[in-house]
Amino acid sequence: CSLPNPRNVHFESINMKNVLHWSAPEGTGDGVLYKVKYSVYGIGKWIRRPECRNINRTWCDLSSETADYEEQYYASVKAFLNGMCSDWVETARFNPLTDTKIGPPMVSLSSTENSISIILTAPEKWKRSPEGGSVSLLQVYPGLQYDVSVLNKKTKQQWFFSISNNTLVVPWLEPGTVYCVSAQIYVTTPRLHSGFSKEYCIATLKDK
Amino acid sequence: LNLMPTAGTKIFHFGPCSISMSVSEIRSGFTAIKANIQARDPIRTLSILSHPRSLHKVKSSERCCVTHQLFNFYVDKVFKHCKTEDSYVNRKISSIANSFLSVKRKLGQCNKCTCGQESTEKLQQVLVNYEGLNVTSAAIKSLGELDILLDW
Repeated sequence: CSLPNPRNVHFESINMKNVLHWSAPEGTGDGVLYKVKYSVYGIGKWIRRPECRNINRTWCDLSSETADYEEQYYASVKAFLNGMCSDWVETARFNPLTDTKIGPPMVSLSSTENSISIILTAPEKWKRSPEGGSVSLLQVYPGLQYDVSVLNKKTKQQWFFSISNNTLVVPWLEPGTVYCVSAQIYVTTPRLHSGFSKEYCIATLKDK
Repeated sequence: LNLMPTAGTKIFHFGPCSISMSVSEIRSGFTAIKANIQARDPIRTLSILSHPRSLHKVKSSERCCVTHQLFNFYVDKVFKHCKTEDSYVNRKISSIANSFLSVKRKLGQCNKCTCGQESTEKLQQVLVNYEGLNVTSAAIKSLGELDILLDW
């Protein structure tokens, strides 16, 4: 096996959509093919991934194979070119629970004259098929909480809230004024946090 | 391990007593050396804590005892055999060990929780897994599995 090895073999995970990525071996142009295998830590048996056999792309979706987040995993990649091959190159141990990135929450707003109501929805864990049952990341991370920022667009006054449940009513606001809300998820065990969501804006009703 | 979280500090309720412990301090210490320690463990076919059954399968009524026993296991058997040639890694290991030691002391002052058959069997299995390897490999493997304990 005299072909240089694939480089930077690692998992990229968002909401537990776990995709193996790597870079082509140094100095190899087009035509390199790859195959992928994975194993469950503690069991160790390597399992080939047929959909990622003799592929020329440099990623392989292993979400299905690594869906049990109570387990940890290794994955490995081998390169082939013109009858030559590389060694198997492995990832570090992958722990879906701690190594995934969490997406921001969905934010829905409604308003009255003097208040806005905010409903936050945590993203769903990756699932095999759209028809499959949904699992909210709230179920995966029971300690999941939200940081919420509320901005008065006129005065630029801003408030920050930290809440455990997914609804928040902000009272004593000015009628007929636009308020913009952005929210972030954070988890204390394991310690994870999403980025802030984009801004969602709403106007309080005008004084009657 | 999760009960009533305040930023980073966890309150563990064991029967009548509560132990406060900064999980985030332990976790950040472990995260800093996780890749280094796990890379030293070439044995993929065995997990000290998860073989043959995941910690997540332990009944909630037995969690208190299993947690208590695992802290003792790490303090009494694991940390002392985790020396590396890397002083940075060694410092992180001793910081984690000190945190575990203080919890073990606090636990010692409390009434032990009741240990049923499942927790006794679980600890027995952990010890069998541990003693199935040479002590350094077993200790490094156990240390590399700290996130399994912390995630639980």
